[in-house]
Amino acid sequence: MSESDGETYKILVVDDEPDVEPLMLQRMRRHIRSGRYSFVFAQNGVEALEVLNSDPDVDMVVSDINMPRMDGLTLLSQIAELNPDLRAVIVSAYGDMKNIRTAMNRGAFDFVTKPLDFDDLQVTIERTLENMKAWKEALSSRDKLVSLQRELDVASQMQQSILPAQFPQGDNFEVYGNMEPARNVGGDFFDVVLLDDGKIGLAIADVSGKGVPAALFMMSSRTLLKGSAIGLTEPGKVLREVNNLLAEDNESAMFVTVLYAVYNPATGHLSYANGGHNLPVIFHGDGSCTVLPYTEGLALAVLSGVEFVEGELTLAPGDTLVLYTDGVNEAMDAENEEFGMGRLQAVFAGGAPQSAEAANEAVFAAVREFVSGAPQSDDITCLTLRRRGA
Amino acid sequence: MDLKSTREGSNLIVDVEGRVDGTNAMDFQTALEGAIQPSDQGVVMDMGQLQYISSAGLRVILLVAKSLQKQNAKLLGCSLSESVREIFAISGFDKIVPVHDSRADALKALED
Repeated sequence: MSESDGETYKILVVDDEPDVEPLMLQRMRRHIRSGRYSFVFAQNGVEALEVLNSDPDVDMVVSDINMPRMDGLTLLSQIAELNPDLRAVIVSAYGDMKNIRTAMNRGAFDFVTKPLDFDDLQVTIERTLENMKAWKEALSSRDKLVSLQRELDVASQMQQSILPAQFPQGDNFEVYGNMEPARNVGGDFFDVVLLDDGKIGLAIADVSGKGVPAALFMMSSRTLLKGSAIGLTEPGKVLREVNNLLAEDNESAMFVTVLYAVYNPATGHLSYANGGHNLPVIFHGDGSCTVLPYTEGLALAVLSGVEFVEGELTLAPGDTLVLYTDGVNEAMDAENEEFGMGRLQAVFAGGAPQSAEAANEAVFAAVREFVSGAPQSDDITCLTLRRRGA
Repeated sequence: MDLKSTREGSNLIVDVEGRVDGTNAMDFQTALEGAIQPSDQGVVMDMGQLQYISSAGLRVILLVAKSLQKQNAKLLGCSLSESVREIFAISGFDKIVPVHDSRADALKALED
């Protein structure tokens, strides 16, 4: 969804701080003047519900958590009952992982932290609106018979809207990710989550199936993963929790493979757990590479109660960790030959990548050159973490 | 993708050949469900001639394993090529569908 689709979106901002209203109107003035956003304000959850009951045109909610009369978390539960199509973004204190996690579990689409960065808020609002629009189209496509292509377009919009728009970096690390969607099939996504103590959560995933049902499954996988990631520090426990939630009532037998890792930029320490996903590769400064050791696990949503064994290692300065989906190693040329792990491991044989983005691009370039125009049959996704230095 | 089935007592043996991916997973599902009878005690999927299976294909196997579970029947796999065995190992699907080296081993496991 570009910002020029001509629609005006009405956003309800809920906060008990009196400064928020003038500040929001001032900082968002360009988007208000262009007719992109209009704002309504409420000071607590009770007032917010009154607005939502009297004004059916509200498209999304941005809400603080701690407020008198009714807090943001209670408001979220009420919104879910009132109108499940309404998307909410939560504003919370930095590092308040407990509340953020509760909010994600109650259906918040995303969160931003205080003090408010208005550029970040605006990016988050756009992603939320894009997702909401795709969601509404998905619902209406259920009601009327739409062509398969239309359904796949809607699904692909939903998929794009959950990918991170920017990547964290610091003096000693950088992250970069990219996905090239296939025309018809697809279910890849990745996420980068900022955790307590400056740690970074990295997830790469591939949902089985295609179309709107797979896109909806992807949405809940991503939300549950993000919610669990910021509440639990150990990757094995994160996957365990998400798996148990997804495996409930999973009659459609969809599943998702996920590799989830937690990286500590201060020490280079990486811990990870694997839900049936391809094993990432670490490219070392000297041109050699290592495949991350296998750890016991199972694709998520297949069976509840599964334990996920954790692995750990330390990245050396100059090491680059490449997480990818099977769209990379199973990319096929015109003769039906697969790209394969061997070619992936050979990408940097001539020298280590100099940045996360360069590493990512090099993998895509190698796949592109190999298939040389043969039709792409699956999403190709790559998420790269590089420890700077050396 | 090609699928042939034979019956050995109360067990069904299914031979899968070729590639199973997003383009033919529905056909795979239809053929597999069509071959299974409510009276089947066990199903052995011989994947000796299966070259490749994508996540869409694994989903069909999961669906079938779940519905067999409801009729108290088991699903086993056998004779996997190295690349297919790797797909089963990494995805963890060998925990859902136990895999055996040969058809005879799989049939023997059903008797135990």
